[in-house]
Amino acid sequence: MLNDHFITLVLFSLLVACFFGVLNHRDLRGFFISIAKTMGWMVLGSLAFAYLMLWTGR
Amino acid sequence: MAEPIPRWKAYALSLLTLLVPGLSHWFLGKRRRALLLFLIVAATFVVGIALKGALFSFGAPNWLYRLGAIAESGLGLPYLVGILASIAKLDPAESASLMFGYGNVFLVTSGLMNMLLIMDAFDIAVGRKD
Repeated sequence: MLNDHFITLVLFSLLVACFFGVLNHRDLRGFFISIAKTMGWMVLGSLAFAYLMLWTGR
Repeated sequence: MAEPIPRWKAYALSLLTLLVPGLSHWFLGKRRRALLLFLIVAATFVVGIALKGALFSFGAPNWLYRLGAIAESGLGLPYLVGILASIAKLDPAESASLMFGYGNVFLVTSGLMNMLLIMDAFDIAVGRKD
């Protein structure tokens, strides 16, 4: 399962998001907003970059 | 915010994270945070090993691997044990595998996370952060 690019990407993003969420937020609301924001830019940013590479590599 | 402690003690306390990730936070009284941070850093490390990432040594053949060694050495004791016991040793044949790069990213990130934990623990110890 780990050998899937997308699952690995999501897992990595989740771990990093949780790390910064725990490190920088004391309240549960701030923690979840932080996770959503970090996951958002990491997953969408990586997918956008991958698509850009595919697009420019044609 | 907790009462600040002497600087030498703050340095000593923050470096405890090099033994076990999150140990400094534990001794600073942030026990729940310490446990969560330990689980996150440990999970990142284990996934990196499972994905066949390498623990780079400082004598690695190219500068990119040596940079990786600097980042991974942030793990402290787990890195040292891994290097001495030749766990996840750099295998040139493995470097062509698809997951090698991903594994390295996880391992390097776990080392960098631990470095951030040391700095965070220091900030808590000197009273800059709660």
